[in-house]
Amino acid sequence: MMSPEMSEERFDDLAQTYGGEIARWPEAEREAARALLAAQPERLSIVLDTAAHLDRLLDLAPAQSVDAALLGRLIAAAPPAPNTAGRWIAGLGAALGLSAAAFAGVLAGVAVGGHALPMAAPVATAQMANGKIETAVDVSNDLQDALEEPAAL
Amino acid sequence: MASDGNDPDEALLAGVGRGDPSAVRTLLDRRLPRILALSRRMLNDPGEAEDVAQETFLRAWKQARAWKPGGARFDTWLHRVALNLCYDRLRRRREIATDAPPEQVDTGPAPDAGLLGADLSRRVEAALAALPARQREAIVLCHHQGLGNIEAAGLMEISVEALESLLARGRRTLKASLADLRGAG
Repeated sequence: MMSPEMSEERFDDLAQTYGGEIARWPEAEREAARALLAAQPERLSIVLDTAAHLDRLLDLAPAQSVDAALLGRLIAAAPPAPNTAGRWIAGLGAALGLSAAAFAGVLAGVAVGGHALPMAAPVATAQMANGKIETAVDVSNDLQDALEEPAAL
Repeated sequence: MASDGNDPDEALLAGVGRGDPSAVRTLLDRRLPRILALSRRMLNDPGEAEDVAQETFLRAWKQARAWKPGGARFDTWLHRVALNLCYDRLRRRREIATDAPPEQVDTGPAPDAGLLGADLSRRVEAALAALPARQREAIVLCHHQGLGNIEAAGLMEISVEALESLLARGRRTLKASLADLRGAG
Protein backbone atom coordinates (compact mmCIF):
# COMPACT_ATOMS: atom_id res chain seq x y z
CA MET A 1 0.00 0.00 0.00
CA MET A 2 1.30 3.48 -0.88
CA SER A 3 2.18 5.72 2.04
CA PRO A 4 0.30 9.01 2.25
CA GLU A 5 2.43 11.85 0.94
CA MET A 6 3.99 14.60 3.00
CA SER A 7 5.66 17.77 1.80
CA GLU A 8 9.16 18.66 2.94
CA GLU A 9 7.75 21.85 4.39
CA ARG A 10 5.34 19.90 6.59
CA PHE A 11 8.17 17.61 7.69
CA ASP A 12 10.22 20.66 8.74
CA ASP A 13 7.21 22.13 10.56
CA LEU A 14 6.59 18.92 12.49
CA ALA A 15 10.24 18.67 13.54
CA GLN A 16 10.19 22.25 14.76
CA THR A 17 6.90 21.66 16.57
CA TYR A 18 7.18 18.18 18.10
CA GLY A 19 10.94 17.62 18.06
CA GLY A 20 13.33 15.21 16.45
CA GLU A 21 11.60 11.91 17.19
CA ILE A 22 9.01 10.95 14.60
CA ALA A 23 7.48 8.61 17.20
CA ARG A 24 6.34 11.74 19.10
CA TRP A 25 4.68 13.36 16.08
CA PRO A 26 0.92 13.11 15.48
CA GLU A 27 0.12 9.48 14.86
CA ALA A 28 -1.70 10.14 11.59
CA GLU A 29 1.41 11.71 10.03
CA ARG A 30 4.14 9.36 11.18
CA GLU A 31 3.93 6.91 8.32
CA ALA A 32 4.17 9.63 5.67
CA ALA A 33 7.04 11.25 7.56
CA ARG A 34 8.99 8.00 7.67
CA ALA A 35 8.41 7.45 3.97
CA LEU A 36 9.70 10.93 3.16
CA LEU A 37 12.70 10.43 5.42
CA ALA A 38 13.53 7.19 3.61
CA ALA A 39 13.34 9.03 0.30
CA GLN A 40 15.55 11.95 1.38
CA PRO A 41 17.63 10.73 4.29
CA GLU A 42 20.51 13.17 3.88
CA ARG A 43 18.68 16.48 4.25
CA LEU A 44 15.92 15.31 6.53
CA SER A 45 18.27 13.59 9.00
CA ILE A 46 19.86 16.98 9.58
CA VAL A 47 16.41 18.46 10.25
CA LEU A 48 15.72 15.72 12.81
CA ASP A 49 19.15 16.02 14.44
CA THR A 50 18.75 19.77 14.89
CA ALA A 51 15.37 19.29 16.54
CA ALA A 52 16.65 16.41 18.66
CA HIS A 53 19.37 18.63 20.08
CA LEU A 54 16.72 20.90 21.59
CA ASP A 55 14.87 17.80 22.85
CA ARG A 56 17.98 16.70 24.72
CA LEU A 57 18.39 20.13 26.25
CA LEU A 58 14.74 20.15 27.30
CA ASP A 59 15.29 16.80 29.01
CA LEU A 60 17.77 18.56 31.27
CA ALA A 61 15.06 20.80 32.76
CA PRO A 62 14.93 19.40 36.29
CA ALA A 63 11.97 17.38 37.42
CA GLN A 64 11.71 17.00 41.18
CA SER A 65 12.14 13.95 43.33
CA VAL A 66 9.31 13.04 45.64
CA ASP A 67 10.02 14.09 49.19
CA ALA A 68 9.33 11.41 51.82
CA ALA A 69 7.44 13.91 53.99
CA LEU A 70 5.08 14.79 51.11
CA LEU A 71 4.50 11.11 50.42
CA GLY A 72 3.77 10.52 54.11
CA ARG A 73 1.28 13.39 54.28
CA LEU A 74 -0.58 12.14 51.23
CA ILE A 75 -0.70 8.57 52.50
CA ALA A 76 -2.00 9.81 55.86
CA ALA A 77 -4.67 11.93 54.17
CA ALA A 78 -5.98 9.12 51.93
CA PRO A 79 -9.48 7.78 52.61
CA PRO A 80 -9.37 5.38 55.57
CA ALA A 81 -10.43 1.77 55.34
CA PRO A 82 -13.63 1.09 57.25
CA ASN A 83 -12.71 -0.86 60.39
CA THR A 84 -13.44 -4.55 60.62
CA ALA A 85 -16.23 -4.18 63.19
CA GLY A 86 -17.84 -1.49 61.06
CA ARG A 87 -17.73 -3.71 58.00
CA TRP A 88 -19.22 -6.63 59.94
CA ILE A 89 -22.03 -4.49 61.30
CA ALA A 90 -22.73 -2.96 57.91
CA GLY A 91 -22.80 -6.40 56.26
CA LEU A 92 -25.11 -7.96 58.82
CA GLY A 93 -27.32 -4.88 58.93
CA ALA A 94 -27.58 -4.89 55.15
CA ALA A 95 -28.64 -8.52 55.28
CA LEU A 96 -31.50 -7.48 57.57
CA GLY A 97 -32.34 -4.46 55.40
CA LEU A 98 -31.18 -1.94 58.00
CA SER A 99 -28.60 0.80 57.78
CA ALA A 100 -25.32 0.20 59.62
CA ALA A 101 -26.19 2.87 62.22
CA ALA A 102 -29.61 1.41 62.89
CA PHE A 103 -28.23 -2.09 63.17
CA ALA A 104 -25.49 -0.93 65.50
CA GLY A 105 -28.25 0.54 67.64
CA VAL A 106 -30.12 -2.75 67.63
CA LEU A 107 -27.00 -4.55 68.80
CA ALA A 108 -26.45 -2.00 71.54
CA GLY A 109 -30.07 -2.33 72.61
CA VAL A 110 -29.84 -6.10 72.73
CA ALA A 111 -26.61 -5.86 74.73
CA VAL A 112 -28.30 -3.68 77.31
CA GLY A 113 -30.94 -6.32 77.81
CA GLY A 114 -33.84 -5.42 75.60
CA HIS A 115 -36.41 -5.02 78.40
CA ALA A 116 -34.40 -2.57 80.48
CA LEU A 117 -33.33 0.08 77.97
CA PRO A 118 -32.25 3.34 79.59
CA MET A 119 -34.59 6.32 79.38
CA ALA A 120 -31.81 8.55 78.09
CA ALA A 121 -31.44 9.62 74.50
CA PRO A 122 -31.62 6.85 71.92
CA VAL A 123 -28.42 4.92 71.30
CA ALA A 124 -28.36 5.79 67.63
CA THR A 125 -30.61 7.25 65.00
CA ALA A 126 -31.06 6.37 61.40
CA GLN A 127 -32.63 8.32 58.57
CA MET A 128 -35.08 5.99 56.92
CA ALA A 129 -35.84 5.99 53.23
CA ASN A 130 -39.15 7.81 53.68
CA GLY A 131 -37.44 10.66 55.51
CA LYS A 132 -38.77 9.68 58.94
CA ILE A 133 -36.19 9.68 61.74
CA GLU A 134 -36.31 6.38 63.55
CA THR A 135 -34.30 5.73 66.66
CA ALA A 136 -32.43 2.56 67.36
CA VAL A 137 -34.78 2.07 70.29
CA ASP A 138 -37.67 2.09 67.82
CA VAL A 139 -35.88 -0.41 65.63
CA SER A 140 -35.09 -2.58 68.63
CA ASN A 141 -38.72 -2.49 69.74
CA ASP A 142 -39.84 -3.26 66.20
CA LEU A 143 -37.51 -6.21 66.14
CA GLN A 144 -38.84 -7.47 69.42
CA ASP A 145 -42.41 -7.03 68.19
CA ALA A 146 -41.47 -8.94 65.10
CA LEU A 147 -40.16 -11.83 67.12
CA GLU A 148 -43.55 -12.08 68.78
CA GLU A 149 -45.53 -11.05 65.69
CA PRO A 150 -43.53 -11.52 62.45
CA ALA A 151 -46.03 -9.54 60.41
CA ALA A 152 -45.14 -6.41 62.39
CA LEU A 153 -41.88 -5.90 60.48
CA MET B 1 -12.38 14.10 27.09
CA ALA B 2 -13.82 10.69 27.88
CA SER B 3 -11.62 7.70 28.51
CA ASP B 4 -11.87 4.77 26.14
CA GLY B 5 -12.68 2.45 29.02
CA ASN B 6 -9.02 1.51 29.44
CA ASP B 7 -8.02 3.92 32.13
CA PRO B 8 -5.06 2.17 33.78
CA ASP B 9 -5.79 3.94 37.07
CA GLU B 10 -9.46 3.06 37.40
CA ALA B 11 -9.03 -0.08 39.53
CA LEU B 12 -6.46 1.63 41.74
CA LEU B 13 -8.76 4.57 42.28
CA ALA B 14 -11.55 2.24 43.32
CA GLY B 15 -9.09 0.72 45.80
CA VAL B 16 -8.26 4.18 47.14
CA GLY B 17 -11.99 4.80 47.61
CA ARG B 18 -12.23 1.58 49.64
CA GLY B 19 -9.33 2.70 51.80
CA ASP B 20 -6.89 0.11 50.46
CA PRO B 21 -3.40 1.35 51.52
CA SER B 22 -1.58 -0.58 48.80
CA ALA B 23 -3.74 1.09 46.12
CA VAL B 24 -2.91 4.49 47.63
CA ARG B 25 0.79 3.72 47.56
CA THR B 26 0.78 2.32 44.02
CA LEU B 27 -1.21 5.26 42.68
CA LEU B 28 1.16 7.73 44.34
CA ASP B 29 4.21 5.88 43.02
CA ARG B 30 2.75 6.00 39.54
CA ARG B 31 1.34 9.52 39.37
CA LEU B 32 2.87 11.76 42.02
CA PRO B 33 6.29 12.13 40.28
CA ARG B 34 4.54 13.17 37.04
CA ILE B 35 2.40 15.78 38.75
CA LEU B 36 5.34 17.06 40.76
CA ALA B 37 7.45 17.38 37.59
CA LEU B 38 4.63 19.15 35.77
CA SER B 39 4.18 21.64 38.61
CA ARG B 40 7.92 22.20 38.97
CA ARG B 41 8.35 22.96 35.28
CA MET B 42 5.31 25.20 35.19
CA LEU B 43 6.21 27.15 38.34
CA ASN B 44 10.01 26.86 38.50
CA ASP B 45 9.76 26.69 42.29
CA PRO B 46 10.23 23.44 44.23
CA GLY B 47 8.20 24.54 47.26
CA GLU B 48 5.26 25.73 45.22
CA ALA B 49 5.44 22.62 43.04
CA GLU B 50 5.15 20.46 46.14
CA ASP B 51 2.17 22.48 47.40
CA VAL B 52 0.41 22.05 44.06
CA ALA B 53 1.11 18.32 43.93
CA GLN B 54 -0.18 17.91 47.48
CA GLU B 55 -3.37 19.86 46.82
CA THR B 56 -3.96 17.93 43.59
CA PHE B 57 -3.85 14.59 45.37
CA LEU B 58 -5.91 15.79 48.33
CA ARG B 59 -8.61 16.66 45.79
CA ALA B 60 -8.15 13.26 44.18
CA TRP B 61 -8.73 11.52 47.53
CA LYS B 62 -12.00 13.44 47.90
CA GLN B 63 -13.05 12.29 44.43
CA ALA B 64 -11.98 8.67 44.83
CA ARG B 65 -15.23 7.30 46.24
CA ALA B 66 -17.38 9.22 43.77
CA TRP B 67 -15.21 8.58 40.69
CA LYS B 68 -17.33 7.56 37.70
CA PRO B 69 -15.60 5.13 35.34
CA GLY B 70 -15.85 6.01 31.65
CA GLY B 71 -15.38 9.76 32.12
CA ALA B 72 -12.06 11.57 31.85
CA ARG B 73 -8.96 9.47 32.44
CA PHE B 74 -7.67 9.94 35.94
CA ASP B 75 -4.24 11.06 34.69
CA THR B 76 -5.91 13.72 32.52
CA TRP B 77 -8.05 14.83 35.47
CA LEU B 78 -4.92 15.12 37.64
CA HIS B 79 -3.18 17.20 34.98
CA ARG B 80 -6.17 19.51 34.70
CA VAL B 81 -6.38 20.08 38.46
CA ALA B 82 -2.61 20.62 38.75
CA LEU B 83 -2.54 23.03 35.80
CA ASN B 84 -5.41 25.06 37.25
CA LEU B 85 -3.57 25.28 40.56
CA CYS B 86 -0.37 26.31 38.74
CA TYR B 87 -2.24 29.04 36.88
CA ASP B 88 -3.74 30.31 40.15
CA ARG B 89 -0.22 30.72 41.48
CA LEU B 90 1.14 32.27 38.29
CA ARG B 91 -1.75 34.77 38.36
CA ARG B 92 -0.99 35.61 41.98
CA ARG B 93 2.66 36.19 41.09
CA ARG B 94 1.65 38.56 38.29
CA GLU B 95 -0.60 40.46 40.68
CA ILE B 96 2.26 40.85 43.15
CA ALA B 97 4.84 41.86 40.54
CA THR B 98 2.59 44.28 38.69
CA ASP B 99 5.42 46.18 37.07
CA ALA B 100 7.27 43.09 35.82
CA PRO B 101 7.50 42.74 32.02
CA PRO B 102 5.00 40.24 30.55
CA GLU B 103 7.72 38.02 29.11
CA GLN B 104 10.54 37.28 31.50
CA VAL B 105 14.13 37.70 30.41
CA ASP B 106 16.40 34.69 30.52
CA THR B 107 18.69 35.35 33.44
CA GLY B 108 21.06 32.48 32.63
CA PRO B 109 24.80 32.93 32.55
CA ALA B 110 26.73 34.38 29.63
CA PRO B 111 26.89 32.22 26.50
CA ASP B 112 30.54 31.29 26.80
CA ALA B 113 30.37 30.13 30.39
CA GLY B 114 31.18 26.51 29.52
CA LEU B 115 28.27 25.00 31.40
CA LEU B 116 28.19 21.51 32.75
CA GLY B 117 25.80 19.34 34.69
CA ALA B 118 23.69 21.23 37.19
CA ASP B 119 24.55 24.59 35.63
CA LEU B 120 23.30 23.39 32.28
CA SER B 121 20.15 22.11 33.88
CA ARG B 122 19.55 25.44 35.62
CA ARG B 123 20.16 27.26 32.38
CA VAL B 124 17.54 25.20 30.55
CA GLU B 125 15.12 25.63 33.44
CA ALA B 126 15.58 29.39 33.33
CA ALA B 127 14.99 29.48 29.58
CA LEU B 128 11.83 27.40 29.99
CA ALA B 129 10.63 29.62 32.83
CA ALA B 130 11.17 32.70 30.65
CA LEU B 131 8.66 31.50 28.06
CA PRO B 132 5.11 32.83 28.12
CA ALA B 133 3.07 30.45 30.30
CA ARG B 134 0.96 28.99 27.48
CA GLN B 135 4.02 28.15 25.38
CA ARG B 136 5.66 26.60 28.43
CA GLU B 137 2.52 24.62 29.18
CA ALA B 138 2.36 23.27 25.61
CA ILE B 139 6.01 22.18 25.72
CA VAL B 140 5.77 20.65 29.19
CA LEU B 141 2.62 18.70 28.31
CA CYS B 142 3.87 17.40 24.96
CA HIS B 143 7.59 16.98 25.58
CA HIS B 144 7.98 16.31 29.29
CA GLN B 145 4.65 14.73 30.15
CA GLY B 146 4.53 12.83 26.86
CA LEU B 147 0.89 13.62 26.10
CA GLY B 148 -0.40 13.29 22.55
CA ASN B 149 -1.35 16.44 20.67
CA ILE B 150 -5.08 15.80 20.94
CA GLU B 151 -4.96 15.19 24.69
CA ALA B 152 -2.72 18.21 25.30
CA ALA B 153 -4.92 20.47 23.18
CA GLY B 154 -7.98 19.16 25.02
CA LEU B 155 -6.39 19.91 28.39
CA MET B 156 -5.48 23.41 27.26
CA GLU B 157 -8.94 23.86 25.72
CA ILE B 158 -7.52 24.92 22.37
CA SER B 159 -7.41 23.43 18.87
CA VAL B 160 -4.56 21.19 17.75
CA GLU B 161 -3.52 23.96 15.31
CA ALA B 162 -3.28 26.44 18.18
CA LEU B 163 -1.28 23.93 20.21
CA GLU B 164 1.14 23.45 17.30
CA SER B 165 1.57 27.19 17.02
CA LEU B 166 2.39 27.47 20.74
CA LEU B 167 4.83 24.56 20.53
CA ALA B 168 6.60 25.94 17.45
CA ARG B 169 6.92 29.45 18.90
CA GLY B 170 8.10 28.12 22.24
CA ARG B 171 10.71 25.85 20.71
CA ARG B 172 11.91 28.62 18.41
CA THR B 173 12.45 30.93 21.39
CA LEU B 174 14.21 28.19 23.37
CA LYS B 175 16.43 27.37 20.42
CA ALA B 176 17.48 31.02 20.19
CA SER B 177 18.04 31.47 23.91
CA LEU B 178 20.04 28.25 24.18
CA ALA B 179 21.87 28.65 20.87
CA ASP B 180 25.24 28.88 22.59
CA LEU B 181 24.80 25.35 23.96
CA ARG B 182 25.18 23.72 20.58
CA GLY B 183 27.81 21.31 21.81
CA ALA B 184 25.87 20.37 24.95
CA GLY B 185 22.90 18.06 25.54
